[in-house]
Amino acid sequence: MPAPLPPPDFAATAAYPQVRAGLAALTAGDWPALRALVDAQEPHGRTFLVDQVGDAPDAGDFLRGVHAGQPEDPLAGALLGAHLIRAGWRIRTAERAANVSREQFAQFFDHLRRAEQVLIDVTARHPEEISAWTQRVTSARGLEVGQAEARRRYDRLAAHEPHHLPAQTQLLQQFCPKWSGTWERAHAFARECAETAPAGAPNAVLVIEAYLEHALDHGNMAAAGEFLRAQRARDEIHDAARRSIWHPEFRHGWSWVSVRSTFALAFCLMHEWTAAAQQFAALGDFGDTWFFDYLGDGAKEFQRFRDRAYAKGGRP
Amino acid sequence: MIQELDTDGVPTLLAPTGGPMRAGLTFRVGTADETLARHGITHLLEHLVLAPLGTADYHFNGATAPVFTTFHMQGSEQDIATFLTAVCANLSELPTGRLGVEKDILRTEWSSQGGAATDDIALWRYGARDFGLSSYPEWGLDRLTAEDLREWAARWFTRENAVLWIAGDRVPEGLRLALPSGTRQPVPAASSALPSTPAYFVNGSRAVVLDAVVRRRTAASVFADVLERELFRALRQDAGLSYTTNTGYEPRGDGQATLRAIADALAEKQDAVLGGFIDVLAKLRVGRIEQGDLDAALARRVEMLAVTEIDAARLPECAFNLLTGEPNLSIDEHRAALKTVTLAELHEVAQEVCASALLMVPDGTRADWAGFTAAPTSSDSVAAGTTYYSRDGDGQLRVGPEGVSYVGDGAPLTVGYADCAVMLAWPDGARQLIGPDAIVLHIEPTLFDLHPAAMKVIDTGVPADRQVAMPPRDPESIPQPRAVREIREYLARPKRAGWEVLLMVLSGLATLTIGGFTLLLTLAMFIEPSTEGETWMWGVVAVGWLLTVILALPIVLLRRGRRR
Repeated sequence: MPAPLPPPDFAATAAYPQVRAGLAALTAGDWPALRALVDAQEPHGRTFLVDQVGDAPDAGDFLRGVHAGQPEDPLAGALLGAHLIRAGWRIRTAERAANVSREQFAQFFDHLRRAEQVLIDVTARHPEEISAWTQRVTSARGLEVGQAEARRRYDRLAAHEPHHLPAQTQLLQQFCPKWSGTWERAHAFARECAETAPAGAPNAVLVIEAYLEHALDHGNMAAAGEFLRAQRARDEIHDAARRSIWHPEFRHGWSWVSVRSTFALAFCLMHEWTAAAQQFAALGDFGDTWFFDYLGDGAKEFQRFRDRAYAKGGRP
Repeated sequence: MIQELDTDGVPTLLAPTGGPMRAGLTFRVGTADETLARHGITHLLEHLVLAPLGTADYHFNGATAPVFTTFHMQGSEQDIATFLTAVCANLSELPTGRLGVEKDILRTEWSSQGGAATDDIALWRYGARDFGLSSYPEWGLDRLTAEDLREWAARWFTRENAVLWIAGDRVPEGLRLALPSGTRQPVPAASSALPSTPAYFVNGSRAVVLDAVVRRRTAASVFADVLERELFRALRQDAGLSYTTNTGYEPRGDGQATLRAIADALAEKQDAVLGGFIDVLAKLRVGRIEQGDLDAALARRVEMLAVTEIDAARLPECAFNLLTGEPNLSIDEHRAALKTVTLAELHEVAQEVCASALLMVPDGTRADWAGFTAAPTSSDSVAAGTTYYSRDGDGQLRVGPEGVSYVGDGAPLTVGYADCAVMLAWPDGARQLIGPDAIVLHIEPTLFDLHPAAMKVIDTGVPADRQVAMPPRDPESIPQPRAVREIREYLARPKRAGWEVLLMVLSGLATLTIGGFTLLLTLAMFIEPSTEGETWMWGVVAVGWLLTVILALPIVLLRRGRRR
C-alpha cells in the first residue's frame, strides 16, 4: 500500500503567481501596483485577476475608496463591481433558490444592484472593458434580467473578444435550466464556443461543463455516470478533449487548473480511469474543486476521485 | 419672414405661400386645463363650434391638444373669412342644439381609437390631473351642460387668449373675429405623480419607452435626433433586437419640453431591448456622444429650415410660442442657434434626460437594477374608518369620513374624498375612485360584507361634481362572491326534461309493482314447494323478473345519459 498522496493546493494563489501578487498589492493597499499588474495581463488574465481580487472578502473598503477617487477608471469600477457581486453571492450562498431566505435574497439583490450600477457606468465609458462585461454577464444571472439580456451583454463583450472563457462559463450557467435556460441551449452554446475557439484553446471545457451540469442534475452519481457514458455524450466529451487538453497546442495558461480538473471529474464519472489519471497527474500539486463541490466536500471528493483514478487507471 | 399683425385685437401671424391659403385660430386652452371630472369639455366645445359649419366639402377641422385648441381651414380667401368669422360667432353664441349627438360622437371617437403604447405614460408621470389627463377617457362628457360649455367658452376662448395665423398674402377681407374680451391664460403647472426619478413602470406593450422632461432649448431638440441614431445603431443595426426606434421632442409650453423615445421588441427579446436601451442612455449620460451623430442631426435640421415656405409651415408652432409667451426665432436665428450646439451641451441634456426619466418597460421585466425606482402603484396611508371584510379573500375595505382604502395582500390603495379626481358610479352600486395620484380604487359592493350605509358614506363624501354616472352593466359582468357564484351555478345546472321525469316515475312505479309481485311469488314458491303440476309457476317467476329488468331499463339509461 503506497503512502497516501498529499492533498493538492486548491488556492488560486498556488497555481497563478499573479493572483498572489495581486492579493499582496490589495493587502498593501497599493493601487498603482495592482493596476500595473492587471494592466499587464491579456484579457483572460485581466478578468481572472478581477475575479480573484474582487473575491477577497475584506477588499470592500479599499476598492470603494479607489473607485470614489477615480470614478472613470475602468479597472477600479470592474473590481468594485466584482467585489459587490461576490459579497452578494456569499450572502445568497450557492444553494438552490428554495433554500435561500427572503432576507438573504434582499441583501443579495441589493449588492447586485449596486454592482450593476457601477458596471453600467464602466461599460458605458469603456465598452472594450472585457472584465466589466464579464461581471455584467454574472450580475445579469443573479438579477434575473432575462436570457436575451444576458446574451446581449455577452455579445457586446464578444464583439471585442470572441473567445473569452470566463464570460462563456458565466453565460453557460445562465443557459442551464436552474437559471431558467434549457439543456438544448446550454449544450448548443458550449458546442458553439468549442468549435469556434482556436486549436488547443481551453474553451472546449464548456462542453464538459454543460454535460456535468446536466449529468449531476440527475441527483445521484450512478445516473450521472450512466448519462455521461452514453455514446453521444462520450463522443462529444472526447471531441472536446481533442480540441483542448489532448491537443498539442494546449498550454497551462489562465484557468488551466480548473479546465483539467473538470475534465478529470468527467472521465472519472465515465469510468475512463486512465484518461482521468492523466489529468490528475498533469495537475500535479494543483487542483480546482468547482464541480467536485457539487458532490459534497469538494476537496475530499477531489482526492477520493484522484485516488480511485490512480488505483484503476494507473499513475502515469 | 413672418409678419405680426392685429385682427380685431387678436395677434395675427402672416407668412407667404404659393399654394392655397391656410389659416388657423389657436387658443391657449386644452385638456391640461381641465379636471378629470370635466375631462372632454374643450374637445366637446370644439365639436359644437364646428358642427353647424357645413359639410365635408370644406377643408376645415379642429384639434384639441394638452395646452392649445385650434380651428383651421384651407381654401379660398372668402371661404376662410366665412369659416373663421362663423367659428368666432359660434364661440360667443354657442349652438348647443347638438349637445347630445356630439357627446355620442366623442364617445365613439374614443372607443374606436386604437390605444397606443405610449397612452398611459402621462398619467404615470403627472397623475389624474393637468398634463396627465390625456391618458384618460373623456369621462366629463356625461355631466356637461350647455351652461358649463358657455362658461368654458367665455373663460378661455377670448381675444386675448387667441392667436390667428395665416399662410397667404393678407388677412382675408371681411374676416371678423368677434370674440369676447378676457385674459391670456398661463400654461398650467405640471403636477408630478413620481416621488423620485429616474423611475419606471411596467406595461403590457412590447416596447420600451422613455419619457423625459428637459428644459426647452435647441440642444435638447438636437439631442432627440442623436438619441434616435444611437438607439437605431445599438438595437437595430448591431443587435437586431428592435424594428422601430423613434424619438420625439415636444415643447410643453411652460419652458420645458417632453422628450420621448420608443423601441419595439420581439416577445423573446424584450429584456435585451430594455438592457440595450439602458446602456444607450448610460453611454450618452457619461458623455460618450459621437461627433458624427451631432453633425448629422444638425445637418438634418438645417435642411429642414431650408425647405421652401418654411415660414408658412411653422406658423402653428409660432402661434403656440406666442400664446405661451415663448420667443419666436427667425430662420436665421434658428440656424445660428444650431451652430452653437456642442457635444458638451448635449452631454448636459443627456444628464437631464436620465435624471428625469420615466421608463415604460415590458411585462416581466423591471429596471430597478439599473437605478430606476418603481413608480408608485399604492398609497402611503390608510384611511381611518370602519373595516369591511371581503367575502372571499382576506382583503379589507376601510370606509371612513375622509376617504376609503383597500388593504389586501399588497400595499394599500387609498383615495381621499376631498381630492378625489373622479368617482365613476354604476347603477348596480359599483364605484371606482381615482385619486389625484392616479391610484385607482375599484369597489364591487357584492364582494364585501358591507353595511348598506357604507356606500352612502362614500357617495356623500365625494363631492357631487366629481361623480360620473356610468351606463348599466351586463349583470353577467358584475363580479360575485364565491358562495353566490356557486348557488347560481347550482340553479343554472342543466335540467331534466319533463318527459324524462315522467318516464322515470312511470318506469319506477311499474318496476316496483311487477318486481314486488314477482318477489312475493318467488318467496311463496320457496316456502311452499310446488307440486308436480305447478312447475309452470316457475315460468311465471322467470317472466316476472325479466319484465322487472326491462321496466327498470329507462331509469338506468336516463341516469347514465345524464352523467355523460
